[in-house]
Amino acid sequence: MAAKKKRSTPQRGKRRAVRRKRTARGGARKYWIIRTLVIVGVVLIGYLAYLDITIRRQFEGQRWALPAHVYTRPLEIFAGSRLAPAALLKELESLGYRKQAQADRPGSFTAVGDKVHIHLREFTFWDGPRPARFIRVRFRGNRVVAVTNRRGGGIDLAQLEPRLIGSVSPMHHEDRSLVQLADVPQALIDALLAVEDRGFYRHIGIDPRGLVRALWANITAGEVVQGGSTLTQQLVKNYYLSAERTVQRKLNEMTMALLLELHYSKDEILEAYLNEVYLGQAGNRAIHGFGLGSQFYFGRPLHELELPELALLVALVRGASHYNPRRHPERARERRNLVLGQMEERGFVDSTVARRARAASLGVPRQGAVVATAYPAFLDLVRRQLQRDYRDEDLHVEGLHIFTTLDPAVQAVVESEVARRLARLERERGLLAGSLQAAVVVARTDNGEVLALAGGRAARYAGFNRALDAQRPVGSLIKPAVYLAALEQGGRYTLATVLDDAPLTVEQAGAEVWRPQNYDREFRGGVLLVDALARSHNVPTARLGMEIGVETVTAMLRRLGLQRELQPYPSLLLGAASMSPLEMTQLYLNFASGGFRLPLKSTRSVLAQDLQPLARYPLSIEQVIEPEPMSLLNYALQEVVRSGTARSLQQRFSADLALAGKTGTTDGYRDSWFAGYSGDILALVWVGRDDNEPTGLSGASGAMRVWADIMSRLDLRELQVQMPPQVELLAVDDQGRQAEGCMGTRSMPFVAGSEPVDSAPCATTRVVRETSGKIKRFFERLFNESEN
Amino acid sequence: MSPKTRLLCLLLVSTLSACVTLPPPSSSPSPPAAPEELTGTPAVAGLVTRADRALDAGEYNRAAEYVERALRIEPRNAALWQRLARVRLAQGNHGQAVQLASKSNTLAGRDEALRRDNWLIIAEAHELAGNAAGAIAAREQAAR
Repeated sequence: MAAKKKRSTPQRGKRRAVRRKRTARGGARKYWIIRTLVIVGVVLIGYLAYLDITIRRQFEGQRWALPAHVYTRPLEIFAGSRLAPAALLKELESLGYRKQAQADRPGSFTAVGDKVHIHLREFTFWDGPRPARFIRVRFRGNRVVAVTNRRGGGIDLAQLEPRLIGSVSPMHHEDRSLVQLADVPQALIDALLAVEDRGFYRHIGIDPRGLVRALWANITAGEVVQGGSTLTQQLVKNYYLSAERTVQRKLNEMTMALLLELHYSKDEILEAYLNEVYLGQAGNRAIHGFGLGSQFYFGRPLHELELPELALLVALVRGASHYNPRRHPERARERRNLVLGQMEERGFVDSTVARRARAASLGVPRQGAVVATAYPAFLDLVRRQLQRDYRDEDLHVEGLHIFTTLDPAVQAVVESEVARRLARLERERGLLAGSLQAAVVVARTDNGEVLALAGGRAARYAGFNRALDAQRPVGSLIKPAVYLAALEQGGRYTLATVLDDAPLTVEQAGAEVWRPQNYDREFRGGVLLVDALARSHNVPTARLGMEIGVETVTAMLRRLGLQRELQPYPSLLLGAASMSPLEMTQLYLNFASGGFRLPLKSTRSVLAQDLQPLARYPLSIEQVIEPEPMSLLNYALQEVVRSGTARSLQQRFSADLALAGKTGTTDGYRDSWFAGYSGDILALVWVGRDDNEPTGLSGASGAMRVWADIMSRLDLRELQVQMPPQVELLAVDDQGRQAEGCMGTRSMPFVAGSEPVDSAPCATTRVVRETSGKIKRFFERLFNESEN
Repeated sequence: MSPKTRLLCLLLVSTLSACVTLPPPSSSPSPPAAPEELTGTPAVAGLVTRADRALDAGEYNRAAEYVERALRIEPRNAALWQRLARVRLAQGNHGQAVQLASKSNTLAGRDEALRRDNWLIIAEAHELAGNAAGAIAAREQAAR
């Protein structure tokens, strides 16, 4: 502009004209500036409003995500139910029923001989409230024979209330053990303000003076003793956990801090901070808040902690991993003592107290001890399934009541048997104590309800949930999918098909030549299909899979409900793919339910705070495998227990139970798997090490033992494999030939029309392989229609 | 899967679904265990009564809840699976009606009347879902 001025001529008229022009130009410029300012202003206000809404929503959300109440399944009592008196008494005790001479008020019971009288409490179930009522239960052995009311009238069905097992936030993956400001020890707040934000009660969200003071303190101390960000800023940063350090981020953070202070009181912000601050990591689980931090590091509630322990928690705010007292005790101690020093300097504690506190040991037990809930692994599943199936808004409701499928009796069996067996395995095999880990899922075969779940050997401690999150190669556990895909191919394969067990070489484009081996590194020449699965031979399985095509097997796995993307590499046939125990349980549920796919579920229903039904998980099934191949596969999986890799189970279970199952072992004995089921219960066990080192345990010597320990303590029903009418039993010899009337034969099921063509010389009668007219017509139609 | 193929699969299922329980194999000879299910226990009967009452009142979810509770007690009771199929049919959930009736069929043993009713449920569900071919095929099964 200055340049333009100089360029204007001294001539008057022209100057005037220029001035006029310049004025016009000036007006335009002014207008332009105003317009820009307005636009910038609008954008800025819009942006501010956006930040305001974002941060307020976040704050409110965290603050009001009050925990939901989570319950076990209710125990049903009815004439005929299989329930031991001891089990009922245990359930009553766990519900806090008092044993009295007279069950004269709700919440009391009497137990005399084979009779138990219970005064049930009032409770609101999914289908409405049930008033308090008196019932008499009479037993014969481990069965209930009669349930009657006070006057002796029959009661068809009584329910105990479900037990409250935890209060969780359905919105968060993290466990919260929320604290209220009033319950927080003053020393904790003193320590926190002394090192993190001295001006907290004075500043407006950001604190330039505090920043300078902190800077000075840090320079003189030669290390970071005080933080420059206010607690409010730290809270904002915690909401949007990100290590990113850009100017824009910092500006956003400061703006949001100012906005928060505008809307909320200091105490509200402080309380949110106390529950939000990141204090450590337990496996994949973030430890947020001092309430949970106290449980995690000391195994005790916050209000029980002493000064040095509180100071240690505050020390962790600066860097939970850097000052981790379990990994870096020396660093943690120094930082803790620095916190104590700052407290002393501020006059919060006198020098004697501070000195004594500085001399105290860290007091952190080695094991992480989060006992915020009694069943952390199961609750993890509940939370994830709710988040998967319902919109956030629906769950973002205060005080939901969540009715789960957890059976605490089964869960107790799982917890104790896992711990006992792993310790024993370590002892017997000279393994390092505590090196083995395990995951267990137990579910009902008819409706997919998860009865119990263990995410590790110390089931009561939250931490890495192996049942849900461990991804391990599944080994032979995958084989049933290969055999099922083969048995589906309309009679091309039967249980008696002789599979070739000779060296196999598979050339793969762009990959190493694959030469699968049997576990014993022997080749048997020929082996019946049923035996190849039952004894878990690798080579015939790989050959069978290559014959039907790896894609056929991946398609089968998808049909069985496996959702992860699988690369159709030949090694998949022997279980090179990694999956979680939960996924494998879902897979085996298809078999255990007779070919019906049904989702594993951990929740039956959800009630709102006012006890109105909100959501329900109905029984939902889908037939994915036809009855014939399904019955053949189930027979083969029973053969695993009768004569295959799981035959040692016969020593512990009656043959009448007709159990079915499959072992899985991975390379170098790193993973030990077993999946097996009775008529009513499916259980899956994984045993291995977190660092993926070999354990020396096969599926049968590790996981299967845990499985047997658990199942032998449950009341199992026999597995009745439904054989469709077109499936018949036929005697065959060890070469897969018809052998009716011969010695030493085995009977196995065949779909009509797929009987072996050859007969053994000793056979007395012979079924001619011929499709009956009806079935033939049917197949013809199937074929013709498919062509259309 | 085209409707035709689906129909045929259904046919296949139906042709082969007259189920019997396989006795334990000859290698371990033991008589087939008697069904230990307590059919018609007062508990199940009571739940079915409540379910029917809820169904009459048009409270389908409640009815389903009662039948599911009964099924937890007697999971191999084919009549209960059929009951649940009926609830779903009344509710307009045709897909589940078909599936649940199919499940009932796999447990129906030699109960031809129950199986016929299952096919009629399947036929009606297909009809209501606009699958005429499926309905005809299911009616053929019912007429066998």
